[in-house]
Amino acid sequence: MSVIKLDKLPEKVILPLKQHDGIACAPLVKKGEEVIIGQKIGDCEGSDLAYIHSPYCGTVEAIEEMPSPMGKRILSVVLAPSECAESVDFVPEKDAPPSRLLEIIREAGVVEYYEKPTYLALKPGKRIDTLIMNATFPLITNAYLDSLDKVLEGFRLMLEAGGISRGAIVIRADDKESIKAFKNAKVGGKPLAVAPLIGKRHADYYFEDTDDEIIVLAGGKITYTPTMMNLLSADVMGRKIPLGYEPADVHVAVCGVKSAKAVYDAVYEGKPYLENVITVLGAVNRPGSVLVSFGTPIKDVIEACGGYKGEPGKVIVNGSRVGVALYTDEAPVSKNTTGVIVQTKDEVLRDVSSACIHCARCVDVCPMNLLPGRIAVMADQGMYEKCGEYHALSCIECGDCAAVCPAKKHLVQLIRFSKLQLLQMCAEAEPAEVTE
Amino acid sequence: MTTFTVSPPPHRRSKISIKNLMWGRVAALVPISLAAIYFFGFAALGNIVASILGAVGIELVIEKAFKYELTILDGNAVYMGLLLALICPPTLPAWMIFVAAMFAVGIGKHAFGGIGSYVFHPALAAWVFLSLSWAQDMLPGSTPITSSFSDLIFETGAGYLGDVSPILVLLTGVALIAVKFIEWRIPVAYFLTTVILAVVLGDPVSYVITGTFLLGVLFIATDTVTSPVTKNGRIIYGILCGVLTVLYGYFSGNYLWGTLYALLLANAAAPYIEVNTLPKPMGGVAHE
Repeated sequence: MSVIKLDKLPEKVILPLKQHDGIACAPLVKKGEEVIIGQKIGDCEGSDLAYIHSPYCGTVEAIEEMPSPMGKRILSVVLAPSECAESVDFVPEKDAPPSRLLEIIREAGVVEYYEKPTYLALKPGKRIDTLIMNATFPLITNAYLDSLDKVLEGFRLMLEAGGISRGAIVIRADDKESIKAFKNAKVGGKPLAVAPLIGKRHADYYFEDTDDEIIVLAGGKITYTPTMMNLLSADVMGRKIPLGYEPADVHVAVCGVKSAKAVYDAVYEGKPYLENVITVLGAVNRPGSVLVSFGTPIKDVIEACGGYKGEPGKVIVNGSRVGVALYTDEAPVSKNTTGVIVQTKDEVLRDVSSACIHCARCVDVCPMNLLPGRIAVMADQGMYEKCGEYHALSCIECGDCAAVCPAKKHLVQLIRFSKLQLLQMCAEAEPAEVTE
Repeated sequence: MTTFTVSPPPHRRSKISIKNLMWGRVAALVPISLAAIYFFGFAALGNIVASILGAVGIELVIEKAFKYELTILDGNAVYMGLLLALICPPTLPAWMIFVAAMFAVGIGKHAFGGIGSYVFHPALAAWVFLSLSWAQDMLPGSTPITSSFSDLIFETGAGYLGDVSPILVLLTGVALIAVKFIEWRIPVAYFLTTVILAVVLGDPVSYVITGTFLLGVLFIATDTVTSPVTKNGRIIYGILCGVLTVLYGYFSGNYLWGTLYALLLANAAAPYIEVNTLPKPMGGVAHE
């Protein structure tokens, strides 16, 4: 599958100073300053950080609040890019020890698809026995198949950096192209084994039989989105994550295809995390995967895909189920962007929600085994404690319930609201207990 | 510059709506209604029309009077009217069923808060209302016994409109299950429980499998508002419906009334079943 590349420079480049879920960076450059490719422009301090580097060469036009792909305006560095290809000296470090590897990954500002900095995901301070690579986004995985050996090497480096003994790559069972490519791939001279995930045969079952460090598992037809960590861990490892815990608590770390490639680039080429592949789907003339440098406005990405087909009505970042509908296509692509979906004016939903008829469709689709309709009703009435009793906090906000609701209720928003209220109540309750 | 719509996710939904669901159920009842009109003639047609008019009329009046949004087009009132006509004998005077349909939608549905809020199935409530008010007129002319296969196709001993052709009810109901307009748990649990219990107690199955019973299994018991939403709850609800049906049917010998009264009772128990079958979330609950 061919990956579309942008052939011309965008008019301006917007680099948000916060591209992960954590601490925002402070700008290292001033207005009017020249920057070159790979220059660090955002620095931050703390334990949860991801440095920002410039993927373009150019002049800083402004440092101000600009639209971001998360829908909000955040402090960004605006560049006027120029044609020059000058870059900082990229220093490859091929034989770095594990602690240095982790350092390199941190310096490169690599961020996982679920917005966590990779170095933290690999070494969360808890015992990790398995690293899962979530390659269940078929279009994105396919886009990286050409450089599969680099991705696999990056994955191996991640295992080394985190001191993790086993790695499982999860792909979709219906993603034939990837399965074929993985079957032909080799790690350390040995061919990879592609095994199916059936019933109770989880990753442990296959690890017992093999000395391989890395195995590939083809399981199900689910694309595990960032909020579906619990399902990913349960399906692949057979380890369910209780409410309020993260994958690390059941000794699992999760990474993406993009970050594996980024780790390879960081270690073997010395390059920081500057670009990745995103998917552009929907009402564009040439939908597909696009290799984009961070900071490129979505407008230019869509132009590279042949422009809008018909009159655009909605630009959605990160999936039509849970993604954010942007108010402008000037917003840039950032490290946490996985895809853009364009809807035409006619496709934009204009449903009016009505009374619930208790049809239980939401109950039947809920992957977490909740009663979304009931929680939503109680959230609507302000009965948040009751929402807690119905396990509102276990909700992963996948949006399946709202998608099938015949009454077109805003289930996800209501549940999310109740979760916020519940967390707030917990936060308020805790100090009170201490003073007592 | 182009403008973009901003809205909360999901940005794509299934096409299904309450309107589809209701009109789907109405469409599924059309074949049996036609068969009833063919068999009983004008009396049946009159009753069906009177019932639907009463149901839709009172909904219109109530929504106009209280300045609510008009919902007669969502098909729920039409469905209630049609269903009520199918569980009444054709000899019932049309004005009575008109009044009963008004009771169904006016008291049974709107007094409880409209669609989605009623406790008892409106058509069932109206059937009980009719049975208590005009017991003589509600007595069916005959009691159906489906002793041979041809009776399943065309029941000449039909008492209620819906008894005319059990197989039509069964086929359309199963078709609704196939297109996922009706969920399978309640009908399967209800049907199996009833048949197994009846056989165990020694009642002939030919008494049990009537048009009214199948209407109860596939259309009344599966009314989403009056049944539990939890997965296990739905199965328990189906079993409870079956047990109550056979209890009433075994001791009174009348499975028509058994079905309808059992459903009314089960409606009352549905919320209790629901709160006692709350599912555990996947992954379990962390210690408090």
